[in-house]
Amino acid sequence: MQHLRWLMREWRGGELALLLVSLVLAVTIVSGIAGFADRLQRGIVGESNKFLAADLVLQSPREVPQDWLASAAQLDLETARVVEFRSMIAAQESMQLASVKAVSDQYPLKGMLRISDQPFTLSYETRAKPAVGEAWLDARLFPLLKVGIGDSVRLGDRQLLVSKALVSEPDRGSTFAGMGPRVLINTADVAASGVVRAGSLVDYRYLFAGEDASLTAFQNSLAGSLDASHQWQRLKDSQPQISQTLERAERFLLLAGSFGVALAGVAVALAARRYSQRHLDAVAVMKAFGATSGRILRLYVGNILLLAVGAAIAGWALGMALQSALFTLIQDLVGFRAPAASWAPIIAGSVTAFICVFAFALPPVLRLRDVAPLRVLRRDIGNEGLSVMVSAVSGIVGLSVLMLWYTQSLELVAAVLLGVVAILGLAGVLVLRVFSSIRRLASRVGGVTRLALSAMYRRRHANAFQVVSLALAMMVLLCLIAMRSSLLSDWQVQLPADTPNHFLINIAPDEVPAVKAWLDEHDVEFAGLYPMVRGRLVKIDGRELAEIPNVDENRGSVNREINLSWSENLPSDNGLVEGQWWAADETRNLVSIEQEFADRLKVSIGSKLEFLIGGLPLTAEVSSIRSLRWDSMRPNFYLLFAPGVLADYPSSSITSFYLEPGNKVILNELLTRIPTVTLIEMDAVIAQARSVIAQVSAALELVLLLILSAALLVGAANIQSSLDSRLHENAVLRTLGASRQVIARGLVAEFALIGAVSGLLASAGAELSLYLLQTLVLDMTASWHPLFWVLAPVSGAVLVALSGWWFCRAVVTTPPLYVLRQL
Amino acid sequence: MIRAKQVSKRVRVADAELSILKGSDLEIKSGESVAIIGPSGSGKSTLLGLLAGLDDVSDGDIWLCGEHLNALDEDQRAELRARHVGFVFQSFQLLPGLTALENVMMPLELRGDKKAASTAAEFLERVGLAHRLDHYPRQLSGGEQQRVALARAFAAKPSILFADEPTGNLDAATGTSINDLLFTMNRESGTTLVLVTHEPNLAKRCDRRITLAAGEIVGDDRINGTAD
Repeated sequence: MQHLRWLMREWRGGELALLLVSLVLAVTIVSGIAGFADRLQRGIVGESNKFLAADLVLQSPREVPQDWLASAAQLDLETARVVEFRSMIAAQESMQLASVKAVSDQYPLKGMLRISDQPFTLSYETRAKPAVGEAWLDARLFPLLKVGIGDSVRLGDRQLLVSKALVSEPDRGSTFAGMGPRVLINTADVAASGVVRAGSLVDYRYLFAGEDASLTAFQNSLAGSLDASHQWQRLKDSQPQISQTLERAERFLLLAGSFGVALAGVAVALAARRYSQRHLDAVAVMKAFGATSGRILRLYVGNILLLAVGAAIAGWALGMALQSALFTLIQDLVGFRAPAASWAPIIAGSVTAFICVFAFALPPVLRLRDVAPLRVLRRDIGNEGLSVMVSAVSGIVGLSVLMLWYTQSLELVAAVLLGVVAILGLAGVLVLRVFSSIRRLASRVGGVTRLALSAMYRRRHANAFQVVSLALAMMVLLCLIAMRSSLLSDWQVQLPADTPNHFLINIAPDEVPAVKAWLDEHDVEFAGLYPMVRGRLVKIDGRELAEIPNVDENRGSVNREINLSWSENLPSDNGLVEGQWWAADETRNLVSIEQEFADRLKVSIGSKLEFLIGGLPLTAEVSSIRSLRWDSMRPNFYLLFAPGVLADYPSSSITSFYLEPGNKVILNELLTRIPTVTLIEMDAVIAQARSVIAQVSAALELVLLLILSAALLVGAANIQSSLDSRLHENAVLRTLGASRQVIARGLVAEFALIGAVSGLLASAGAELSLYLLQTLVLDMTASWHPLFWVLAPVSGAVLVALSGWWFCRAVVTTPPLYVLRQL
Repeated sequence: MIRAKQVSKRVRVADAELSILKGSDLEIKSGESVAIIGPSGSGKSTLLGLLAGLDDVSDGDIWLCGEHLNALDEDQRAELRARHVGFVFQSFQLLPGLTALENVMMPLELRGDKKAASTAAEFLERVGLAHRLDHYPRQLSGGEQQRVALARAFAAKPSILFADEPTGNLDAATGTSINDLLFTMNRESGTTLVLVTHEPNLAKRCDRRITLAAGEIVGDDRINGTAD
C-alpha cells in the first residue's frame, strides 16, 4: 500500500516517466517484434508447407493402422492419403512405365494443383482433383501414349478417362528420386485396378495439417509404434532450398528481435541511471530524517517492481497493437492471413520486463541504499556514479539471459556478445584516452574554452557510458543493415530470372546429338550436357567407409549410388577451392570433389577413392576440391572425373535449360522426337520459392525499420540522460561570462566527439559480430565492410551533434539563474 | 541531550590526511538553543553532521539523547534520528517529486504516524502555507520552500533540531521572516536547537554561541536573554 502511494507520488511528480517509457518500450519491442516475427514466420511456414501439401507427412511402405488416423482426427488434425507406385499405363497404341499417384478427396491439405486443359498450354491453379474413374496425365505422357484429352487409358484392370494435363502437384518436390511421368488418380480407383498387391513396391504417404502443438502431440503419440520403415517429413526434409531461406530469415528475425531487446535494455539502463542520480538527494534527506537502508531498499525496489508490472501490461497491449498494425500494413505483400496471436508474446513481454528491471534498472537503484545521509550537508558525497563496469557486467548478464531465452541459439548470442564485449573493452581504453588528451588540450588553451574542456574531462565516466550505449545502438543497426543486404543479394543471386526451369535426364549417348539439335533449333540456352554414370563410393585410402572414424555412412549421399560425371573444363559456376584442374590431355585417374562432401568424408588432395560402378571397381585420386551452388538449378555433381576415366562405363546425360512459360508447347515436339528422355518441369517450384523470398524480404525490411526507431529512441534517452549535469555546468559557465556561442560550440563539439567515437567503436563491434554471425550462424561467407569505418563515425558525429543540440537547446536558452536556483 | 568528548574528524585528501575537527568537547542541554559559528572551512558543518549522527567520528565519543552514537551502526542511528531529530538545510532539500504536504508527511510516515496527513497540513498552516499544500517545490519561491522545510522539521515533534545555515540561500527580508518563524516554533515546541550559521544576528538569538576556528572550539559564550 505504502509502495503504491509512493509510486503514485513519484509518478505525479514526473520522476518515473522516463523509466516507465523505457520499460514499456522494451516490452513493446519484444512482444511486438517477437509476436510479429512469430506470426509472420508461422504464416510463411504455413505458406511453404504447400511444398509438402501438408504440415507434416508420415511415409510408410504399407498402410498404417486405422487407429493412428483416428488419433490424428481426435487431435483435430486434417488428414489426406497419397499412394504412390510405379506401373505400366496402357493406351490403344502404346504403353509407358509411369509413376502413379493416387490421392484422397482431402488432398492437398496445403497448396494447389497446377493443371492445363490441353498438354503444354497455359496452366492454372486448382483445388480440384481427379474424380473416380478419371486420370490426369503429365503433359509428356500425351505424346508418349499418343492420347489426347477425352481418350481413355488403362491402369491394370481399370479404364480411366484422361480429363486434364497435370503440370505439378504441390508436393512433387525437386529431387530426382521416384521421378517418372506422373499419372494422378483418385485413391478409390487403386483397389479396382488390382495393380497394388502384397509385396508391391508402394509408398504410402499420410498428410496432416493443424496446430503446431497438435502435430507435435500426434508425432509423440506414435513414437512407440513406428519402426525404421516409417518416416516423418516436415518442410526441412523435402525442400532444402526453401527451408534454408526460411531458416536464415527466421534467424534474422530472431536476431533483429534480440537486438531490439538489447536496445531497449540500454534504454532502461540509461533511464534507471538518471532516475537513481536524481534520487540521491532525496534518499540522503530521507536517511537524515531517519529512514534505514532496508527501508530505502524496500521502497525503491518495490517501486521498480510495481513499475515493471505496469510496464509489462502496457507494453504487451502496445505490442499487440503494433503486431496488428504491421500485419495490416503488409497484408497485401505477404498474401496470406496472419495466424492468430499466441501467448508467447505475453510471456516474452513479461519476462523481458522483469529481466530488464533486474539486469538494467536494479543496479543503479540498489546503489541508493548506500547513499550517505551526510550528503544532505555535503553534496559532493556519493556523486561518483555507478561504475561503468558494474552496469556493463549486469547488463551483459541480463542481455545474455534474454537473448539466449529468446533465440535459443548459443552461437548467435555468443556472436553478438563478443561484439558487445569488444565495444566495452575498446571503450574503456579509447574513450578514457580521448578524454585524457582533451584534458591536456585544456591546459594549453585559455578562458572559457578551457573550462568547457575540463568539464568534458570531468564528465569522462558519464561520457564513456554514453559512448558505449550509443555504440551498441549503432552496432546493432550496422549489423542488421549489412545482414539484410547480404541476405537479399544472396537470395537474388540464388534465383535469377533465367534460372533453368526444366531438367532433361536419362539422355542415352546416341540421343545426345538429337537433344543438342533440338535445343539449337529452338535457340534454347542450356547449361551444357553432362554425362552421368551411377556408382557407389566404397573405400577411401583403402579403408571401408564404416571403418573411418567420424564418417557417418548413413548420412546424405555417402551410402548410396551417386551420380558421377566428367568434364574437360571446370564448370562455369563452380569454384576451385584447392588443388589444380587437370590438363586437357590428362591420362591419370583423377577426380575433383565438392567441398562439403570432402569435409564430410574427411577427404583431402591426394586421397584415393574406390568406387563400384555396375559391379566393377574403379580407383581415382583426388586432385582438386570445388565449391558449387546447389541452388543454381543447374546439373551439379559431388564428383567430377577427368575425361576418359569413366568412358568405358554405361552412361546417360543430363542438362537443364530455361524456357519461357509461353514457349512450353515446343516440349511436345521434343518428347515425340526422343520419347525415352525424362523431362522434369521445375517452373512451379521456382515460382513458389520466389514468392516465399519476396514475402520474407518484405518482412525483414519492416522489422529493420522497427529496430531503427528503437535505436533512435535509445539515442534520445541517452542524450536526455546527460541533460542534468550539462544544464548545471553550462549555467555556471554562462554565469562566469561564457557567451551562448561558446557554450553552443562546446556542446556541439562534445556531442560530435561522442558520436564519432561511438561510430568507430560500433564499426569494430559490428565487424566482429558480423564475422561470427555470418560464419557460425547463417552459413554465409564472411565479408568485411570498409565503408562502415568511414560512414559510422561521420554519420555518428553529425547525428549525435544535431540531436544533442536539439535536446540541449534548454542548456543554452534557459536563464542561468533559473537553472542554478533549481539545484 | 548531546555530549561530545574529544571528537576529531580527519579525511584523506589525495595522499595527505586533513584534520577538519580536532579533539573537541561539547555538551548541550535539553531545550538549549546553540549557534555554531566560525569562518568558512572552520568545521561547523562537520561538527553538525557528527552530532546528528550523519557521519562517523575519527576519534572521540558522542552521545545523542542518551545513546552512545559510536556503538550504533548507520541504521540504528537512522532509527534514533527518526525518533528524536529534525533538520533544516541551507538548500531546503525538499524532495522535488513530492508536494508540499507530502514533503512534510515524509518524516511522520517514516515514524509510522497514522495521522501524517492531518498533522502535516496543520504544520503547513502554521507556517502560512495552508493554500499551497498541493504545490511542488518547483512551484514555490525560496522562502516558501524553506517554510515547508520548517514545517517538515517541526511536524515530527523532534527533541533536537539541527539547522545548517537555514537562511543562507535567502535574501535578507525573507531570511529574517524565516528566522522569526524558526525561533517562534522552536520556543513553542521546546526543541533543543543546534544551528550552524555565520550570521552574527542569527547567532545572537541563541542561548549560546560556540565559535570554531581551524577545527577547534575557540569560544563558548552564553548569552543571557534573547538578543535581536
